[in-house]
Amino acid sequence: MNVKLFRKGDIAVIAIIIIAAIAFAYFSFSDSENLQAVITVDGEVVETLDLSSVKERIVITPETEPKVVIVAENGEIRFDSAECEDRLCVNSGSLKKGGDTAVCLPAKTVITVMGSDVDAVVY
Amino acid sequence: MKKTAAAVAVILVAVLAVFVFYDGVLNKTSDADFFSMNTYVSAKVTGYESDLCTAEIQKIVENLDTEILSRTAENSLVSQINKNGGGELDLQTAAYFSLLLDVCRQSAGAFDFTLGAVSDLWSFGSSPKIPDENELLEALSHSGYEKIVLSGNSIELQDKSAVLDFGASGKGISLDSIKACLETRDIKNAVVSVGGSSLLFGDKDFTVGIRNPEGNAGSYIAKLHIGEGCVSTSGSYEQSFEENGKTYHHILDPETGYPVDNGLVGVTIVSESGLLSDVLSTACFVLGVEKGSALAAEYGCTAIFVTEDKKIHVEGNSDIIEITDSSYTLAE
Repeated sequence: MNVKLFRKGDIAVIAIIIIAAIAFAYFSFSDSENLQAVITVDGEVVETLDLSSVKERIVITPETEPKVVIVAENGEIRFDSAECEDRLCVNSGSLKKGGDTAVCLPAKTVITVMGSDVDAVVY
Repeated sequence: MKKTAAAVAVILVAVLAVFVFYDGVLNKTSDADFFSMNTYVSAKVTGYESDLCTAEIQKIVENLDTEILSRTAENSLVSQINKNGGGELDLQTAAYFSLLLDVCRQSAGAFDFTLGAVSDLWSFGSSPKIPDENELLEALSHSGYEKIVLSGNSIELQDKSAVLDFGASGKGISLDSIKACLETRDIKNAVVSVGGSSLLFGDKDFTVGIRNPEGNAGSYIAKLHIGEGCVSTSGSYEQSFEENGKTYHHILDPETGYPVDNGLVGVTIVSESGLLSDVLSTACFVLGVEKGSALAAEYGCTAIFVTEDKKIHVEGNSDIIEITDSSYTLAE
C-alpha cells in the first residue's frame, strides 16, 4: 500500500508548530544568560539594565527623597552615594551576581540582580 | 488518510493550547514589592489566585503596621496602649500578645517587648548614638515584661512609662497573618519576605540562604533546605555603628540595655510560626549558644548559631543545612 500519511498542507502545519516551539524555547531560555539588574523605587520598576553588557560607566539618579546615586560599570552596579543617614545601601558594596541585593530604606530604593538560586535570604 | 493526519495535527495543537492555558492560569506568578513596617517587603505568589494574594499581602502588612503595631502611627493600637497605659485588644492581637509573653517568660526576659524607651535612646534606624548612662538606667527601670498584665482581651501596663515595642516581633506577626490568609486561597506556593524574615508557603522544596555577615544583602554562607515554614535571622551586622573604635549593634540585652557581646554574629530560627521564628532569633542571640539551644528545643524549633570565629552550631534538625561558604565550619 502506498498511501501518503501526510500531505503538503499537513507537513506545513507540523513544521510551523515545530518552529514555534523552538522559537518559544529559545526566547524563554536565552534571557537567563544575561544578568539583569532591576532598580525599583517604592515598588515601581524605574530602570532595568543588562549588567553583562554594561562596560562604560552609567549613572542613574532616580527621583527619590533622600537622593541616591546609582552607578553601573564593568558588569557591576552599586549605590555610589546617598543622602540618607545610615548609608547602609552604600555599604552594601557592588552587586555582580544573581541574587545580589542592596536596599536604601529611607529612599525606598532597591537594586536587585535577578536570578538567585535560593528562594529567599534571611538577615 | 490525510484527514487522519490533519485531525492528529489539530488535536496536537489543541492539547498544546490547553497545556499553555492551564500553565498560564494555574501557575501564574504575581509579585509585590513595597515598603512598610520600616522595612522592605517582597512577595512572590504562584497559583490561580496569586494576583488577589499579593494585593491582600500588602494590605495585611500595611494594616498591621498603621492600625496595630506601629509606635510612630499616632492612632495605632500600640500607640494608644503606650499613651494610656493599657487598652482592649482584638482576639487575634490578644493571641499574639499572649504568645509573646510566653516567650518572655520562657526566655527569662532575654526577649522582652517593653524596651521601647531603651531602644529609642540608641536611635537605631535613624542616627544611632551611645545613650547617656543615667538616661539608659532610667529607661530600663521602666521596662520589663513583668509589668504587662494581660487578662482576656485587656492589657494593662503597671508602669505607665513602659513602652511596648514590636521591632523584634512585627515581621513575624505579619508572616503569621499572611499565612492565615494564604491558607484560604487557591494558590500553589508563595515566598514572602518581610525584611529579613521569610515565609515559605505551599507544598514545595524551598531553599533559603543565611546571609553572609560580611557580604551584601543577597549573599549567603549556607543554604537551608526546608518545606513550608518561617525563617528569621537576628544578626549583629544588620544595624550597627562605630564609636571610639568600638562597634555597637542593635540587638540589646534587656538586662543591661547595651548591645549583646557574646561572640555571636547571627542566629537563624526555623519554625512553623513566624512570630516564634522572629522573637526566638532575638532571644537565642541574647542567650548565646547553650541557653539559646535549650530555648529553641523547648519550642520545637531549629536554631542555627553563627559565631564570630565562623563556627556554625545547629540545634534541632541539622540535615537541613548545607554550608556553601568554605570559610565556615559546622561545630561538633
